[in-house]
Amino acid sequence: MRAKRDLFPPLFVARYERIINDFDDFISAMLTPLPKVFRINTIKALPDKVLPLLKDFKPQQLPYNPVAYVVKDGMGLGRRLEHFLGLIYIQEAASMVPPLVLAPQPGETVLDIAAAPGSKTTQMSAMMNNRGLIIANDLSYQRIRGLVGNVDRMGCLNVVICRGDGIILAKKLSNSCDRVLVDAPCSSEGTIRKSKEALERWSFRGIENFSRVQKGLIVAGYQALKPGGKMVYSTCTIAPEENEAVVTYLLSRFPEAEILPIELAHLKMRPAIREWEGKGYPSVIESCRRIFPQDNDTEVFFIALIRKPDNAPS
Amino acid sequence: MHPVDFLSRRFGFSAEWLRDLKIQEDQGTIFVGTPEVMKFREAKPLRRGIRLCRIFPASIKPTTFAMQIFGRLATRSRIEVSEEQARVLINGGEIEVGATIENGYVIVFWREFVVGVGLYKKPILKSCIPMFRPLD
Repeated sequence: MRAKRDLFPPLFVARYERIINDFDDFISAMLTPLPKVFRINTIKALPDKVLPLLKDFKPQQLPYNPVAYVVKDGMGLGRRLEHFLGLIYIQEAASMVPPLVLAPQPGETVLDIAAAPGSKTTQMSAMMNNRGLIIANDLSYQRIRGLVGNVDRMGCLNVVICRGDGIILAKKLSNSCDRVLVDAPCSSEGTIRKSKEALERWSFRGIENFSRVQKGLIVAGYQALKPGGKMVYSTCTIAPEENEAVVTYLLSRFPEAEILPIELAHLKMRPAIREWEGKGYPSVIESCRRIFPQDNDTEVFFIALIRKPDNAPS
Repeated sequence: MHPVDFLSRRFGFSAEWLRDLKIQEDQGTIFVGTPEVMKFREAKPLRRGIRLCRIFPASIKPTTFAMQIFGRLATRSRIEVSEEQARVLINGGEIEVGATIENGYVIVFWREFVVGVGLYKKPILKSCIPMFRPLD
């Protein structure tokens, strides 16, 4: 096990063995390749029409997501006609959880503040039965090309694509959105199973920089919510500076914001931490959830569900 | 003739094929989306909904991605192909088919799913499907 730990930066190990009690299981899971998961694009077809075409892959339904399936050997899945035709979307299992928690409804107005390449945008579009409005924004023109391609391929008629600073856009949308997804840019520590790149460029300075950006985005996202609206803040990283600390910052700016409990049947999630590097977080932060690879064979995710009260000051 | 009427006639769409949706023209392209998408004014988007068709001086060209949504409603100008033929078309190729339909744009089906748009000039069906990546 020591040899496995040595594959990670010493500071990474020193930081996270303090908050992950089964750290050796975590390390082992992080070094195991990710299973391939796809979801059926219900805008175009229902599972009973698509699954028979993919029976060679022996897809198994994820217990917490009725339209998502895991395959043992996903080699060639991305080159299948079903993929090109937009009948399926290959997406990491934990990355499907933030939209499931946000639960956008048909006809609503949803802001996806950092949307590219569009996995969650297209998932929400399907959840909304292709009705209402999703404002899908991203800063990077390069990444937006992927977003446009995915919106086209999945047939999303309820999406507008914007390019710009999410904070400026959210200000223009002040008090107008039923739901907001802040799937924030992050240090991506949790994606190591998919690509070692995140590990290679891992640094504490990076975490600090992302934390600053995330605080701006979570505040902007909250301001875009209608009273009574809900927001999900999520990252695919472990660093508390990018997770619990960011939600705590929101509460310091908007003490009326409500942190709601998160439940998703058959998905094991752990409560957020209450203390880090000598700083305590408010007890409500414990309602936020962490997803670890050793629990559900996924990537890492952090998810907070936040509600703007009906009587929130505008 | 309005491009939407042209498409309705060409593919035999019923009068209600764009029910509850709105269209908008922008520089020779017609986009289709929900009413909320077309009404959105708070920022200037790069895109609203998806491209329905492009207007050329001598023709109206439906897009593959729009027809993947609406094509199943077509009652005319449909061609069914095998999986192997679909792969040829997706990779930008052309195939010979013996269809007894009028020359022009057609909707290509594989099983009950729309592969995309093709241009038929008897007996050749040429792909009009955007090429993103080669398929094996």
